[in-house]
Amino acid sequence: MPEVIGPETILVVDDEEPVRKTFEEWLAGAGLGCRVLAAADAESALVQANQSIVDLAILDWNLGAGNDGLQLLEDLALFNPDIVAIMVTGFAHQATPLDAMRMGVRDYLDKNQDLDRTAFLRAVRRQLDRIRPARRQRAVHVSLAAFRSAVEKVLPLVQSAAALSDPLPLPAAISNLFRFLLRTTGAQDGVLLVRSYDATREPPELVRAFSAAGEELPAPAVPFARSVAGTAVSLQEPSVMSRPDEAASGMLELETFERNRQSLLAAPMVVAPGLHAVLELFDKQGSRGPELFGEADRRLAAAAADFGVEVLRQALAERTAQRALFDAVGAALGATEPLAQALAPSAPRPEEPPPADVLARLETALRTGPESSVETGDALRLAEAVRELAVRHGPGAVRHCLQLVQATRRFLDEMAAGGEANHAGRPQGARP
Amino acid sequence: MTDPPDVFAELGRLLTPERLLHDPRATGEGVKVCIIDSGVERSVLEEKFTRGGQPIHAIEGALFSSDRAQPLPYDGHQSAPHGTTVADVVLSVAPRSKLYSADVFGPRGACEVEVVIRALRWAMDVWSCQIVNLSLGVSEQRLQQVQKRQQLLRAVEEAYYRDVLVVAAAHNDHPLERSYPAAFAPPLLSVDKGLFAGPLQFAYHLSETVEFRAHGRGYLGPFATELATSWAAPHLAGVAARILSMRPGLKPFEMKTILYWISRSRDKRTEPG
Repeated sequence: MPEVIGPETILVVDDEEPVRKTFEEWLAGAGLGCRVLAAADAESALVQANQSIVDLAILDWNLGAGNDGLQLLEDLALFNPDIVAIMVTGFAHQATPLDAMRMGVRDYLDKNQDLDRTAFLRAVRRQLDRIRPARRQRAVHVSLAAFRSAVEKVLPLVQSAAALSDPLPLPAAISNLFRFLLRTTGAQDGVLLVRSYDATREPPELVRAFSAAGEELPAPAVPFARSVAGTAVSLQEPSVMSRPDEAASGMLELETFERNRQSLLAAPMVVAPGLHAVLELFDKQGSRGPELFGEADRRLAAAAADFGVEVLRQALAERTAQRALFDAVGAALGATEPLAQALAPSAPRPEEPPPADVLARLETALRTGPESSVETGDALRLAEAVRELAVRHGPGAVRHCLQLVQATRRFLDEMAAGGEANHAGRPQGARP
Repeated sequence: MTDPPDVFAELGRLLTPERLLHDPRATGEGVKVCIIDSGVERSVLEEKFTRGGQPIHAIEGALFSSDRAQPLPYDGHQSAPHGTTVADVVLSVAPRSKLYSADVFGPRGACEVEVVIRALRWAMDVWSCQIVNLSLGVSEQRLQQVQKRQQLLRAVEEAYYRDVLVVAAAHNDHPLERSYPAAFAPPLLSVDKGLFAGPLQFAYHLSETVEFRAHGRGYLGPFATELATSWAAPHLAGVAARILSMRPGLKPFEMKTILYWISRSRDKRTEPG
């Protein structure tokens, strides 16, 4: 747990009880706002140091029984490396200042020369004035290090869990939209293209295509500038084309799913700055055979596009909010990077699980969110397992894990395909 | 016994729309036309017109964006095919006109009013274009900000007073929907779509603020055969370029009058009786 900044602790160690009591009384009556501890010998001093962090030690140089204050200070520094000390000695002129300074002795008080309350408290106050800012700074560093450690553990976990628990079942929404459009327009097929452009990203242009069933298709190969979708966006309204192959030229290339079509209706949607989507419908089939899309189809597509815009905007808003949160936390993490480097211990820290209370809140939040295809607990366990794998064995182990998952998916897909073919009464190997 | 026709009647008979528009000098030569749109795929048009035995002037241009005061150089490519289809229509009607491509969409595929204004000013100040074609517009409901609307109007009016003819496409659902800048009709040529027998056919057809209808089908690229105001506007811009190549100093209101006269003359000849 990070240290909470409280009053400084002063430890008085002197084997002479009257001296010890006097020092205690002077400190208690001075209104320093410090906690005062006292010990008669080195052993009880170390016991106290084990129970409380001692900031300032007032040590008798000669503690008797063969112990000296300097040795005790060396031992006390094991409990708090930043401890400072005032040495009380009867022969200050014989002290070894260099060694003592190195070990944390910041002042000497000579029992034989004018050691009164004023001189004593002046020396104590001088040290407290130095200790307090350094102590505050240390406390801030410790808190930041704890924050950083917690975020480092939680951020990838939250990101993985969020990715697994898609806030909007986009494929389902697309599928429903197309089901409506295909039924009402007589189109035989359709595709939704979503294109985002961000000049600061590499590559700046990303285009995704979804089939009428809501499944993601291979990434479109045609640049937006030479695509049917690009033209539809410029026209700003649903537009119709017959035999797209004949329109292909140096200025226009067709995607695979646009080729060999009799007719095409493209409805653009402006979802957000830099984000466009285009609904494409293909091959209208009328009661007497293939037809060209008409005015009514255009209006239906425009209405569907309006709806589609809202669906995509909602998905985008969810992801944007999530992204903004991740970015903010990531930025905070980045800002503390120099601190992390400065505080980096020489030996690796033992791996600890993320804070339990954070995990519990995350699980609750995921459970109350929109319906997910993955159980909340499973999502978190999977994300945590991958995180642990990365921490312990590096990115190569994660890649191996991904390959295993993909192999499992392929195996299950094949099993499922075989089962379906059999259920449908088709011979093995037949394509639907 | 009727009087023999006087010289003015004789001149009137000679001055017909067909003679004017089909004059060998009516090619667009010497006329600079700016296409404010989604860029032009230069090589496609060069190849097409060279193949057709009518080489065109080198197309120049620039790429405008909201985050830069100065446009980026034109690399000869389109941001979307729309602009190339529009440019092809102008060249099909006035093949010797010199085209300038002002790409206001860019790779983001979106355009802001401020960018259109900047491109319009650039067309006047830097390229000294006599005609500017705008096959784009913002519907009234999406341009609610009076200040922005005023800025666009001021730019269009500035063009008018500097003898630059702005040709703007009406909304495809006109007159149900108004769109800017076409709705600023008096200082510019606002164009609706129509089906005509040929590319040089057009009609004066006042409907709301839109005054003319022109041939609404293009020739090249996706959706070109779709009837659209986007393709109608460059037809009228091309017709204006043909007329300007014979009389370069014509002012926008003179051009509008000539177009009106051509349209009315054709109407009279097709009227029964």
